[in-house]
Amino acid sequence: MEQEDINFSDFIASSIHDMKNSLNIQIGFLEELMAECRGKVDGAMLSQLGHTIYEASRMNVNLIQILSLYKLGKSIYPIDIAEQSVKEVLEEVVLQNQSIMEYKGITVSVVCDEDCYWYFDRDLIMGILVNALNNAYNYTTDKIRITARINNSLLEMRVEDNGKGYPENLLLESVTEKKGISFFTGSTGLGFYFSSQVAGMHRNAGKQGSLLLENGGMYGGGCFVLTLP
Amino acid sequence: MTTSLKQSKTLVIDDFQSMRSMLKGFLKDMGVTETDSAANAREALALLAANRYDIVICDYNLGQGKNGQQILEEARYRNYIGYSTIWVMVTAEKTMDMFMGAAETKPDDYLLKPITEGMLESRLNKLIEKKQLLEPIEIAVKSKDYTRAIALCDGQLKQHSPSTQELQRIKSDLLIAVGDFPAAEAFFKNILATRNIPWAKTGLGKVYFLNKDFSRAKEIFQGVLDESKMYLEAADWLSKTLDALGDLEQAQSVLAKAMELSPNVAARQQNLADVAYKNGALDLAHSSYEKAIKLGEHSVHKNSNTYAGLARVLTAKDDPKEALIVLERSRVEFKDDPEAALQTAVIEGLAYQKMGQPEKASAALAMAEDLMRSQPVNINPATTVDMANALFELGQKDKACGLLEHMVKNNHENAGIIKMVAATFENAGMGEEGSELIKKSSEEVININNRGVILAKEGKYEEGIKFIRQALGNMPNNDLMIMNLCGMIIGLMSENGKDNQLILEAKELLDRVRVINPANQKYNAYMNILNQLSSPA
Repeated sequence: MEQEDINFSDFIASSIHDMKNSLNIQIGFLEELMAECRGKVDGAMLSQLGHTIYEASRMNVNLIQILSLYKLGKSIYPIDIAEQSVKEVLEEVVLQNQSIMEYKGITVSVVCDEDCYWYFDRDLIMGILVNALNNAYNYTTDKIRITARINNSLLEMRVEDNGKGYPENLLLESVTEKKGISFFTGSTGLGFYFSSQVAGMHRNAGKQGSLLLENGGMYGGGCFVLTLP
Repeated sequence: MTTSLKQSKTLVIDDFQSMRSMLKGFLKDMGVTETDSAANAREALALLAANRYDIVICDYNLGQGKNGQQILEEARYRNYIGYSTIWVMVTAEKTMDMFMGAAETKPDDYLLKPITEGMLESRLNKLIEKKQLLEPIEIAVKSKDYTRAIALCDGQLKQHSPSTQELQRIKSDLLIAVGDFPAAEAFFKNILATRNIPWAKTGLGKVYFLNKDFSRAKEIFQGVLDESKMYLEAADWLSKTLDALGDLEQAQSVLAKAMELSPNVAARQQNLADVAYKNGALDLAHSSYEKAIKLGEHSVHKNSNTYAGLARVLTAKDDPKEALIVLERSRVEFKDDPEAALQTAVIEGLAYQKMGQPEKASAALAMAEDLMRSQPVNINPATTVDMANALFELGQKDKACGLLEHMVKNNHENAGIIKMVAATFENAGMGEEGSELIKKSSEEVININNRGVILAKEGKYEEGIKFIRQALGNMPNNDLMIMNLCGMIIGLMSENGKDNQLILEAKELLDRVRVINPANQKYNAYMNILNQLSSPA
């Protein structure tokens, strides 16, 4: 019986991989379409297209997370903790989501020192930040701010928005991989589970990475805080 | 080297038409005017052979045939691309095989799908910038001026940049390459003092390994794997270390575990097969060699050792007929490779011997002897040992002893090879005679060498050079002797002034040492002197 289970999850993983390929092509073409439509069609249509891309990219993010969790669980994810230019990483996260934000009229700013460097797995941490950005997209009015700084030998990365803030029941104390599954009502909680797993996997000098949801920050809205040792 | 994205000549390799047109569209929007595209490895390699590209964007997974990594390796091997080419590998997901393989040739960057235009443009611009930053170092390395290359790294490392880690890696590789182990050790320890990073810790272990401090190396590599079990480079080194320590069983189990995590790496599969064979685990060796042949099918790095290994196992498993079939395949596959021809002939001899056909065995070995005479440099020690074994079995004792004597003279300071020779004598029931011969041959080399040193000390360089040159004819791979000859040539030039012919000879000698013993401690010092001599004053 157990043998069958293993095969089934392998089967799901390879199907997800296949779906991801189609989705990637779809997103690529939608982006091209969007660029071509610029200035040719009315705003409502553009924002509809923007929303289509948002949904597709959300799906893609979910698939990547499932696949990564599957591989992390089987110890076959090639974790590569290396020094990164934090500013470069933040800017790339923004670039990846630029078109979505543009068409909802959201401005995203990055605040990070040029000489801020830290150690982490670039793709996994980008996965967390893209997820946080997708959430902020839903909660914000029109502004999102991504910041990073080193504080007490920890890297603190924040995604802040100028919306109404998270509802009381979602606010979270510091979360590591040990706790935490299915927080978001109406959502699978996959994003948060993925994020907490990945954060907890980053360890150094006896400490491990953690997540925090709070309200306030520069804009007084929702804040997603990722801390890495 | 391209200085701007717009002026770059680019190539897009992807098996999906839609991906190709999307990427081409992105590049066009960025203002790139020259973009070619290929749908498979064959098309890609034809284009790479005919054009010099600045940027290649290549999908890793191309369906049947070669994958992106294999195209990259072939393009590099055939010199279709230079160091200045930017190679970006595109992939839908990160796999262990891709990131924890044993590949020496790596792309400049990986891009995870989905790719957006903004992201691609930003990455490409950063890569162009980085190439420009690293270019002077690469030029110094190409001209073998390692001291300058290290100094250039130090200069750039003064300031923290997105390239810091890459510079650290280049510098540590250079320190190891020139044999400056104390500096390499200090460098890695310095990095590790700020952060425990797997590559730096593995690097430290490598230094211990090269210093033959195997027990310390073992501890370090084991430590890396305990902390990050997915860092398989440490597993490769741990198994090598265990092998050196004589713990073949552990070496085998470490590699077997690594293969479970990353099952498609040909080089590692081959190592597992080799260890299993040495360990007497013939069934595992058998299946591993077969897998390694399959995995290496499309690789430019496939080599006859895998086929030789399989044939050796089959012979040991009393299936010499099958071994002969494998050898025939190897002969066809590597028809222009003299080393393969030699290996094939030797193992053929063993197989025929096993089949009870001593005449055919003798004929095969006679052919092997001819081949050996025509390529005296760098014969694989395993092939020589195979040959000696076969000769002993055929009762050709003198020939076998001559072969082993030659091996001792070429490697009198290499404990591992001396051990192999001793074991071969032991197997032939000639342990005592063998150790006598090893002792005598080593002494002979030492005496010749001492005489050369005395001549040099007396300032009789010309006489010394003549003497060592002659002796080298008999032991062309003895790196100690080669280095002494090189030293005398330099000594002669310091008295008589520079001589282009001698500089050329010395550089060729150093190139030979680089192949025989990459860790030779004098290599860099001599190369520096020669570079200074040959540069116009």
